[in-house]
Formats: sequence, structure tokens, C-alpha cells
Amino acid sequence: MLQSFFEWMQGLPFSAWMLEETWASPIIQCAHLVALVGFAGAVLVVDMRLLGRGLIKTPLNQLARELDRWMIWSFVALFVTGAPQVLSTALKQYYSPFFWWKMQIIVIGLLFNFTIRRRVALAEEGTLGHWPKVVGFLSIGIWTSVSVYARLIGLLS
Amino acid sequence: MRSLFEWVDALPSSIALRESLNAYPTMLTIHVVSMCLFAGLIAFWDMRLVGLTLKKVPVSNIPTRLFPWALTGYGVNLITGGLLLYSQPMRYYGNFYFWAKMALMLVAGINMFWFHYATYKSVQAWDEGREIPLNARLAGVVSLVLWAAVVITGRMMAYSGLMPGWWNNLNIGA
Repeated sequence: MLQSFFEWMQGLPFSAWMLEETWASPIIQCAHLVALVGFAGAVLVVDMRLLGRGLIKTPLNQLARELDRWMIWSFVALFVTGAPQVLSTALKQYYSPFFWWKMQIIVIGLLFNFTIRRRVALAEEGTLGHWPKVVGFLSIGIWTSVSVYARLIGLLS
Repeated sequence: MRSLFEWVDALPSSIALRESLNAYPTMLTIHVVSMCLFAGLIAFWDMRLVGLTLKKVPVSNIPTRLFPWALTGYGVNLITGGLLLYSQPMRYYGNFYFWAKMALMLVAGINMFWFHYATYKSVQAWDEGREIPLNARLAGVVSLVLWAAVVITGRMMAYSGLMPGWWNNLNIGA
């Protein structure tokens, strides 16, 4: 069933257009990479603060609140620029284990971010012991894995 | 210049790196991850200068607290980028986007040094909650545009078939 869904995506006129239009893929890939930089910065500034590094003179919840919207909007940009790439190479993605690992970790990352990470980052500082460090470390690990698998889809699939 | 690239291309260590199955994916993946560390932090520094975000964070806090991490990312990025070039020098020699990326990095570096040694000296006067001078805001915009262009030209290096016609007419890679 999933395979037929990917075959359907691959067969869409938009997918064909993406593959035929010389500049479509490069432009979308460049935009995806720029969005990735924005997302990485927004995540890292807060994660480093959770680890007790970086902007330690600024309250953690203030940083987390301010960078939350940057993280969300750059993720939206990543999705908007990532979806056409999946559509145009749907079967390549379907048969790549890195694609599935990436998707699974993105889901874990989003759930983790909007539940545990957000709660810890917005909590009163000094009340959660070592948990902020654990959460910061996990968050960096999750999003680093996503970018590693994303890169490997193109290189090893 | 071409003979230097050809000389590197023929070195046994360059050939070994080029022929290794795992070297290229490993180096390129580390290159992308370290780019996220460097460019991600620099982008938020630039946006702070422009006044787009982190307005409550004193400007002087960012270089002190974030630059060591950004420079670590840059160091790893330079090493992996250098190894990628070392492994396939002739692939990059004729690539317009490679030279454009190098030129943009040079200009971004000049902008950074100019800002650090000229504008940033007066940071105490506009550090906290005060209006950032036009020079500093301009340096932030220029830096944002230049590093975005570095990222874009870096990605475009894979598209050797999409180089400008005038560049192809120069036959540099032939």
C-alpha cells in the first residue's frame, strides 16, 4: 500500500515537472539547505543553553520563547522545500533505508520538542536538576541524526 | 594554478581518498553537520545585529559565548572542505561554483574582520537595549547574504552541468 502511494507520488505531473525543469531541483535544494541553517541555529542556541553553555546570562525560558518561532518557521520552510524533493524522487526515497530512518527520527524529534524539550526549557531554572542537560544532549543528537541521514539519502541510495 | 591542482590530483594520498568508498560520504556528511553549527550560530549573530531577534541579549554576549562554538564548526568545516578538495581537485578546478564559493568566503571574511576591527570597537556604546549603529546593521545584512550565498554555491557545486555559458566558454576545466 505504501509502495503504491510512492508510485502515485512519482507519477504526479508535478514530479515530472520537477525532473524536467533544469533549475527546479537545484533551487529547491539550495532553499532547503538555507532553511536547515536557520533551523540548526534556532535549535542549537537553546540546546547549548540547556547544556549550560552559550548564552548563559540570558534566562533559558526567554531564549526558548524567542527562538521557538524561528525553529517552527524554519521547519515549515524545510517541509515546504523537502516535500517537492520527495515527490520528484519518490521511488528512490521509498527504497532508501536512510529516508525511513530520517522520517522516523523527525517524528521522534517533533514529539520530543513539543513535549519534553519545551517543558524543560520553559520551566523555572534550577528546579530540574540534570534534566536540562540530558534534554539538550538528546535534542542535538536527534537533529544531527536527521541531517546525517538526509545527506546519506543522496549519497548512498 | 592548474598545475598545482594537477599535482595534487596525482598524489597517492589524493588518489587513495578519491578511490575510498567511505571517505567521500563521510567527509561530505561531516561538512554539512559542521556547516549547521557554524552558519546556524553566525546567522543568529547577524540577525541580532540587524535587530531581527535576540534583542534582549546584550550584543557583546554573543561573540564571547557563541563564537568559540561557531569557530569550532568552522574549523571542522575547513578541514573536511579541504579534504574534499584534496580528494578531487580536478573536479573542482573547472567548477564555477567552487571559485564563486571561495570568492564569497573571502569577502565574508573581509566583512567579518572589518566589522571586528572597526565597528565592534564601540560596542559598549550600543551593547544593551540601544539602537545598533547603521554600520553594524549593514555588516549583519552583508554577512547574512554572503554566508547564504556560500551555502548556495556550495550546494550548486554538484551541478557541473548548470554553469554559466560565459564560464563554459573559458574552457577552464578542459
